[in-house]
Amino acid sequence: MGKRLLVYTLLLLGVVIAVVPFLITILASLKTTVELVQGVFSLPAEPQWANYRRAWVDGNFARFFVNSLLVAFGVLIPSIIFSCMAGYAFARYRFRGRSVIYVYLLLGLVVPLQALVIPLFYMMNEIGLLDSLWALILPQIALSMSFGTLLMREAFSSVPKEIVEASVLDGAGSWRILWEIMFPLARPFVGTLSLMFFIWTWNEFLLPLVVNIDPAYQTLPVGLLYFQQRWTSDIPVIAAGATIIFVPITIVFLVFQRQMIEGLTQGAIKG
Amino acid sequence: MHSSVGNDVTIDPPSSRGVAFRRIEPFLYLLPAVLVFTLFLVVPVAGTVVISTTDWDGIALSSATFVGIQNYVDAFQDSGFWNALWHNIVLIPYFVILPALLGLIPAVLVHQLKLRGARFFQAGLFLPYIMPGVLIGVVWRWILNPVFGPVNAALDWVGIDAPSWLGDFTWALPTVGLIGAWAAYGFCYVLFVAGIQKIPAELYEAARLDGAGLWQEVTAVTLPGLRREMAVVFSVNLILALRAFDVIRATTNGGPGDETQVLALFMISAAFNANEVGYGTAIAVLLAVMTLVLSVLVLRLFREADG
Repeated sequence: MGKRLLVYTLLLLGVVIAVVPFLITILASLKTTVELVQGVFSLPAEPQWANYRRAWVDGNFARFFVNSLLVAFGVLIPSIIFSCMAGYAFARYRFRGRSVIYVYLLLGLVVPLQALVIPLFYMMNEIGLLDSLWALILPQIALSMSFGTLLMREAFSSVPKEIVEASVLDGAGSWRILWEIMFPLARPFVGTLSLMFFIWTWNEFLLPLVVNIDPAYQTLPVGLLYFQQRWTSDIPVIAAGATIIFVPITIVFLVFQRQMIEGLTQGAIKG
Repeated sequence: MHSSVGNDVTIDPPSSRGVAFRRIEPFLYLLPAVLVFTLFLVVPVAGTVVISTTDWDGIALSSATFVGIQNYVDAFQDSGFWNALWHNIVLIPYFVILPALLGLIPAVLVHQLKLRGARFFQAGLFLPYIMPGVLIGVVWRWILNPVFGPVNAALDWVGIDAPSWLGDFTWALPTVGLIGAWAAYGFCYVLFVAGIQKIPAELYEAARLDGAGLWQEVTAVTLPGLRREMAVVFSVNLILALRAFDVIRATTNGGPGDETQVLALFMISAAFNANEVGYGTAIAVLLAVMTLVLSVLVLRLFREADG
């Protein structure tokens, strides 16, 4: 029994170390600087909501937040549609160049963003997309294609042939079979994939940092960096900015915990 | 629209539009993915390789001159490059080995003691892994702040004169490394717990029949059974150590001095601060090649151990 208790304590300690930095950041965001120095775990005499107002309004977090949402969904929706189409092509058709195209699309799994981000800046400049949300959305869709195609190919391959054949006999065209029969059957895969695309896009930092100069087109991670540079020593305000970023992610994570852990660990295994 | 499944092929005369369409149909499905992938991933990667053979200030294309492999030669002779590379290498034990051990030991203990509710701890442990690197950097920067941060306050309270961590020439790099380990150990734990559950119970029974003790069970059954998960943990975190950027940009930005300068930061500042775009892209190519070679090596290593 003693051993078990020890291991439970160890695990609990692991959880505490993982979670406490976020919790004390929330606490810090509600304090004055003086209260912060008095004690980390102490509660503020009065919650300093003004810290949030400064982050949201003066720190432009409202804008960054909207940009992050627009980019995340701007990447998510087309990425899911294109991944499904490509996965479907590989799962259902035999055609010339099939394996060559497949390997070509999977190359994205081994290419780090660092290997393309510098020319991307000049490319976006050339086609007039520099300082726009498109400069963030289009490359992110491209980066999503490899894993998306891989996963959706697998998902559609596991749909029993009989189901497809039955719908062909019913006279359904291939486009309808994809969206009305295969897609609903592959929903768990689509769900996992959506969560991963969302989190990857939401967290992306290097791409917006490099391709967008105008702060009006930045997302939350870069916004937080600006913010930290501007309010260097005003920790409660910085903590408020950080809280605005991690609370939504934490909520999404807690709601979709199982799918997300599964997706991220499986995604890692496959990659 | 036509479908390729079933034997309705014979119904259409060979010259009809239907057959031709069916032949191009899969390509139409592939078109959006291939197009966007080519334009916004393959083309810029090719651009990186091409630009890396030039001397270019990034202003007008006409000012670029072909220099062959000169940028690569320069990199190998540049102490700044070696300094950054060395820091990436120093980060490897922190990003790879430390979190692997911190995840493996409790995972094995939970399994050996048949503890229930191991999953209950997963969410909390996993949380840091899904957070943006910049956020992790910002959070730790204030926690480690020498004046306002709780870490130094606590150490001060027990009478230890703590360094300024991220601002300290000796401590900055290990501190960044420990932040990386902090972000990854829960991920390793979750992966190992899932992997151990997949090991057939018969293997443990067989080992016990052979008179294996606890330690032998771990080394003979658990560790070999986790080869796949180990390969994943090692290659994923190795890549993170080589590409390290977000956390460092938000904590030290390479400082103090050049003490936490890493390749990704070095590459960006060469291309955009020093306007040596050719040189920056050469670093990008080297970084990509190193990641590729190392991850292939890790996967090989674990696969060979397999058979």
